[in-house]
Amino acid sequence: MLEQIFTVTFFTAFLAATVRMAVPLIYAALGEVFLEKAGILNIGLEGVMLGGAFCSFAGTFYSNSILIGLICGMIGGCVVSFIHGLLCIRLSQDQSVSGIALNIFMLGVTSFAYKLMSAGESYQQVSTLKPIPIPVLNRIPIIGEAFFHQDIMTYMVIVLVIFAGIYYKKTASGLAFTAIGENPQAADAAGISVYKYQWIAIVVNGVLGGSGGAVLVLVQLGKFSENMISGRGYIALAAVILGRYTPMGTLGAAFIFGGANALQIRLQALGLPIPTQALAMLPYIITLVTLLLSIGKSNQPEKLAKPYVRGSR
Amino acid sequence: MKKLLAILLCGVLTASMLVGCGSKSDKEKEKMNDGKLKVALCVTGAVNDMGWCQSAYEGLKLVEKDLDCEVAYTENIQAADMVSAFKEYAANDYDVVIGHGFQFGDPALEVSELYPDTKFICIEANASAENVASYVMKCEETGYLQGMLAAGMSKAGKVGFIGPVQGASLVKIMNGYEDGAKEVNPSIDYQTAWTGSFTDTALAKEAAQAMIDNGVDVIGHCANEAGTGALNVAQDAGLYATGDSYDQSSLAEKAVLSSAVYHVPELIKTAVSDIKEGKFKGEVKELGMAEGIVEFVYNEKLMGKIPQNVKEMLDKKQNAIKDGSFKVPCDTKERKGK
Repeated sequence: MLEQIFTVTFFTAFLAATVRMAVPLIYAALGEVFLEKAGILNIGLEGVMLGGAFCSFAGTFYSNSILIGLICGMIGGCVVSFIHGLLCIRLSQDQSVSGIALNIFMLGVTSFAYKLMSAGESYQQVSTLKPIPIPVLNRIPIIGEAFFHQDIMTYMVIVLVIFAGIYYKKTASGLAFTAIGENPQAADAAGISVYKYQWIAIVVNGVLGGSGGAVLVLVQLGKFSENMISGRGYIALAAVILGRYTPMGTLGAAFIFGGANALQIRLQALGLPIPTQALAMLPYIITLVTLLLSIGKSNQPEKLAKPYVRGSR
Repeated sequence: MKKLLAILLCGVLTASMLVGCGSKSDKEKEKMNDGKLKVALCVTGAVNDMGWCQSAYEGLKLVEKDLDCEVAYTENIQAADMVSAFKEYAANDYDVVIGHGFQFGDPALEVSELYPDTKFICIEANASAENVASYVMKCEETGYLQGMLAAGMSKAGKVGFIGPVQGASLVKIMNGYEDGAKEVNPSIDYQTAWTGSFTDTALAKEAAQAMIDNGVDVIGHCANEAGTGALNVAQDAGLYATGDSYDQSSLAEKAVLSSAVYHVPELIKTAVSDIKEGKFKGEVKELGMAEGIVEFVYNEKLMGKIPQNVKEMLDKKQNAIKDGSFKVPCDTKERKGK
């Protein structure tokens, strides 16, 4: 058994699977970092991803263009985030309640819309994005296949994460986003328009969350099915906390979750004499252990999930 | 104004959650009972879910049309409400109450003592009493045949099988598949994985990919909609697969060799006509290929790819199962490891 696991081919395939499983999480988690930095918690990330997945499928199906489908997915994610923004920024409502309601609401809406679309027909299929190998680099043993033989969406998310890391550290507007999550009153007094930045963060959250759902449809499956996000939105929320609200940390956390899931399904197929339920717990055990190890070092934005009302104290 | 808008929006969100929790029994109740059998159906989801619950609803429509019964149904019944749903129908003089799913077994036993004149039917359950019967589909029969086909078509001697959530009615398919594959090739490498979800299509695909990386060249599944991810990846890799639940050959024409088809509407019709003809017995009744409830169908487009000897072997076994000379073992215990 062990000799099957400790081989180059196993590690190569496992790493490639890790990246595949992680990419939707990275998109969604990065969008959530943007929003949480600005002081708004969106538990409705699962709903945002589901909206993105459905709209990207519908867009591609009717237009026969993956690009239009992707844009539709982003818009779909944005609409869901926009509802959250309306409730939480404009109306200062409880962010957890709004997020949970959105998740359940979107599950119903997408399933219903998909049924209208398919009208009892069997499942429709759309074309998917093909991998673009990067010459030379994709020949590197073990990591070549995983990181340099991927589709455009995967390359893009890595670039986005690096860009976001620099953005928060080096630019004034990046600092402004951090400031309104930490102390909106002070930021407002310093002339930063808190609401404007929060609305920008809502849009970023919708675009990236929607893209996360679109990756599942346009890269991996080429089809939509009911509740297809299956909890990835919640895992992405955990990845944000585990990644300490930084883009790079979130990237690492998403890889841990993706890797754990890829590993458990591979170990099952190899017939490891461990109950499958125990293997399925693996990603969550890793979460709990890492959270335990990071006690007392929280980087959570000070005013996360607290609505900012201008002029109030 | 702001508050009003907030309340309104919240109201819309909650209302959308409640849509579909309706009951359709009132209309039928008003009708006079003119000697017709009154049949009620209870399902855990929506009757238009394109899957498990819809197949029961189609069965109910079949009963209404072919057996001339009065029918009613209740959708979206949670575990806590099953007893009260059964009681309500029984108290309203329904002759037959059907619970669609193994979850209805215990509630049926609980209510049956209070209403001895009502017959309770549970689908895929394990409950039986004086007036309670369970009707179970012998899905392991098609599982066995598909496993034989998979082993017969595998050049590498490696076959994979993907399941959703470990439940008795799904474990027995996985084990039947294994037994069938081992009859053809006793030394076959049988790889399995449970995704733990009926909806996670991407994970089912990943499981299939893992098996393909391990050298598997025929993949089977019983993972409902999620299993279609496995069919796709098999087609992309130029390998074969077997379908489940309905004829799935159109989903991956070049990969799906055959499908196991479960005729749930006929199962429900059989249960009700048993009562109508006075053949009701309080037992767990298993129906399979011989009764036409479970069916094994080939993908016509790939018929040419299946060697003649494999086809003959399958035909022989199928006949043996149908005439009762061969009984497929029904093992509902999960086998783990090797």
